[in-house]
Amino acid sequence: MRRQQLVGILVAFALVAAVAAIVITKTCCGSSPTPAAQTTVTGLIGSEKADFFASPEVQRAFSKLGLTVSVQHAGSWQMKNELKGGSYDFAIPASSVAADSIPTAITTTKVRPFYSPLVVLTTPDVAAFMKQNGLASQKDKVWVMDMQAYWAAASAGTAWTGLPRQENRPAGLSGQIYIATTDPRSSSSASLYLALMSYLGNGQKVVASQSDIDRVGPALQKLMGYQGAMLSSSDQLFRDFVAGTERPLSWTYESEVAEQALAGTLPAGSTVIYPDYDIQSDHTVVELTAKAARVSAALATDPDLVKLEARFGFRPESDPGLLAKDLQQKDNQQFPADLKSLGTSQPPPPTSDLLQQLVNRAVPSGQ
Amino acid sequence: MVRHLPRRAALGALAVLLTAVTGCSSGSAPEPAPTASASGSAAPAPSGAPYTLRVLGGSELQDMQPILDDAQKATGVTVKLSYTGTLDGANTVSAGRADGTYDALWFPSNRYLRLDQAAAGKLLSETPVMDSPVAFGVRSSVLSGLGWDPAKVSWSQIGDAVGQGKLTFGMTDPAQSNSGLSALIGLASAFSGAQAALTDADVAKASPALRTFFAGQKLTSGSSGWLAQSYQRTATGGTGAQVGALVNYESVLLELNRTLPGDAQLTVIRPTDGVVSADYPLTLLASAPSQAKDAFSRLTAYLLRQDTQRKITDTTERRPVVAGVQPGAGLSTDRRPELPFPGSRPVADGLLAAYQNQLRRPSRTLYVLDTSGSMAGDRLANLKKALGLLTGADGSHSVDGFRDREQVTLISFADAVKWEKVHQVPADNPQNELAAIDSDVRSLSAGGGTAIYDTLETAYRELAGQQAQAGDDRFTSIVLMTDGESNEGATAGDFSAFYKALPAGRQAIPVFPILFGEGAKDQLQGIADLTGGRLFDALTSSLDGVFEEIRGYQ
Repeated sequence: MRRQQLVGILVAFALVAAVAAIVITKTCCGSSPTPAAQTTVTGLIGSEKADFFASPEVQRAFSKLGLTVSVQHAGSWQMKNELKGGSYDFAIPASSVAADSIPTAITTTKVRPFYSPLVVLTTPDVAAFMKQNGLASQKDKVWVMDMQAYWAAASAGTAWTGLPRQENRPAGLSGQIYIATTDPRSSSSASLYLALMSYLGNGQKVVASQSDIDRVGPALQKLMGYQGAMLSSSDQLFRDFVAGTERPLSWTYESEVAEQALAGTLPAGSTVIYPDYDIQSDHTVVELTAKAARVSAALATDPDLVKLEARFGFRPESDPGLLAKDLQQKDNQQFPADLKSLGTSQPPPPTSDLLQQLVNRAVPSGQ
Repeated sequence: MVRHLPRRAALGALAVLLTAVTGCSSGSAPEPAPTASASGSAAPAPSGAPYTLRVLGGSELQDMQPILDDAQKATGVTVKLSYTGTLDGANTVSAGRADGTYDALWFPSNRYLRLDQAAAGKLLSETPVMDSPVAFGVRSSVLSGLGWDPAKVSWSQIGDAVGQGKLTFGMTDPAQSNSGLSALIGLASAFSGAQAALTDADVAKASPALRTFFAGQKLTSGSSGWLAQSYQRTATGGTGAQVGALVNYESVLLELNRTLPGDAQLTVIRPTDGVVSADYPLTLLASAPSQAKDAFSRLTAYLLRQDTQRKITDTTERRPVVAGVQPGAGLSTDRRPELPFPGSRPVADGLLAAYQNQLRRPSRTLYVLDTSGSMAGDRLANLKKALGLLTGADGSHSVDGFRDREQVTLISFADAVKWEKVHQVPADNPQNELAAIDSDVRSLSAGGGTAIYDTLETAYRELAGQQAQAGDDRFTSIVLMTDGESNEGATAGDFSAFYKALPAGRQAIPVFPILFGEGAKDQLQGIADLTGGRLFDALTSSLDGVFEEIRGYQ
């Protein structure tokens, strides 16, 4: 994340430190209070938030509030085990369902400081081929995926080469149609994908019983089986996409893509498709010790942190339009200003227990 | 070290500063860091406390040393790498042997490891650092005869060329090395026409084509690094199997080109129908202490910096994983589909077992075993146990054990050869023959002096006889296990003269000596260098592990 530039900035500031400090204080930003003694808070986060927490600006914003925040990342569904006997103060999985599965003695309402829709990452030629076959459409530069058509094709085992209109099929596009996800046993983004697929496979009803699970289980297992070995985290999936080792369709957070678009580093030819049925990723803070309340409050309300959340591609709860505003300024028209304008349906995810059962059914262990 | 970047960035920073002063619109301007030195010449202080991170990883990471040295200056984190193969590393983690011994893992891929759910649960913060697809490097002098456009070659074209005898190749043992396993997956996917992740049915369907293909494999290796060295050795006039192509990481092939003469240069072919890539995830073990976790975070942050990524791609020929960094100049940017890796251990292990027992060229393996007086007691017991494991005597069925169709010869020697036993493992129902090998192993007894060179000459003659009798074409190698110095019979000079008088085909048989007990390292290294083998050290690692590791070279 332009770390070297930051080093440069620091050097430059060192050269003109005195001047800068005076001018800045006088012109706008107000003098920052000297922080009191720093409290160190340790957390376990989903990898999609690793860049945000590692950013020196974010660290500085916490520091102004007297907090030193140090984090490790793990898959949202791994957290429950990792936290056992650990010395963590908080955890931020990438979904409220995963957050509900993490035991804590703290009973205050959980804070959701920011959220992110899940999107499909692909390339323009694949998107155009999908449009030609009715799997996707485009309005005002924003791509939308027809998830019912996708479910029908994928659950029937249709191959790219088996779609009705084969003209302009991109070179190398072959094999079964499926979206590559992370491993739903560890990662929240993939479990939300399964939640969505189970909704579509269950006649557009949220899975609510054992018989629902029995009905959709086999199709889900087939769908996940196509993928083979899965990566543990969305961050890995995105880095592999950047390195050019891609599957035709990858399931990732809007934030991963938006962060790069804002930084001007999104690989050329990255196309984002918004599913017309989608489940949002609610980044939810699970407080494990009393110290953590300061972290959730800071993430939810501190103006500097809220700005930075948007800059790292998230949609802050207190100002959801902020991300789109930032993106529009950078001329990224493929991100919609307002998710509602897409008319996507947002089915609620199943309960935490049922979702875990769905995951076990879709990816049986020791198969 | 020259540090241009901060200076250039500093100019940019001044521009940023001006906008900050006038408008204050573009985010909050950073404040002066209290620790920044005003001189600008001193290197910045490390980002944290010194810590030595114990990392278990792949040997091809040796080319990362200069970058890790920089990382140490910038972060205070020293990386202490212990090398092992990807699959062996996976077993180490699965068995719980990594917990407490290492803080982190750094293999080309965690995919095989993650197929074991219990092992996957031990991993935290898997962070891909760089990427390299497994590719086919074709020798320039061979490529011109194939009439290929290197940018447009498919797996089946490669298969046809090998099947027609126009192309031979070297590849690592997929049961030990991720590059071999990745290639095997790519080949099985392409030859079966699999439309998704491989299944057992796909593997069965691809088998005939795979068997034809692997008849062209003339070189095997337990590690991608040794495979490259072996190619380089023959390309520069040394002995060994000459091959027309190497299956290896794109980065290894390109780095190797820097040291190769013109006609041996390798052209990288990434098959158009798909590749399997390594993304080198630096991975924290959940069992690591909290100081290690902090050091790990600082190290990964450094490795993912844009300037570090640029240096990685420029110096190691691997591809960057950070958006906005251009791949190094030698890397073509046209994309390739990524083939799925099998999604279950049974499928992956089934593919490996098929390779070892049915698909690959069979091996002719000769063990020269020192049973001189000094071997009495624990040493002989350890030797019997290590060899016993390869016969599955303990009930295990390791993919590194003796394979169906393998010819195994045991020579017990001291001041002279005590006995020779030859075993032909059948293609089906190998249990009886494996038990017979084990009973020979258990009959070994110690006594007498040490005549290493005489016995090696006997071994070469024995293999010549076996080859002449069978009239076949196998991977052929000698393992020399000794705990002492040669003190009887032929000298090193005698053996060298004997070896150089052998016909080229016979000189291509490597000796893999094992350093053990009071073994003379110089003597054994000399034997390895002369014959194109590799010295294995059983002083610092277990004899079991060494015998298993050598299987990758046989």
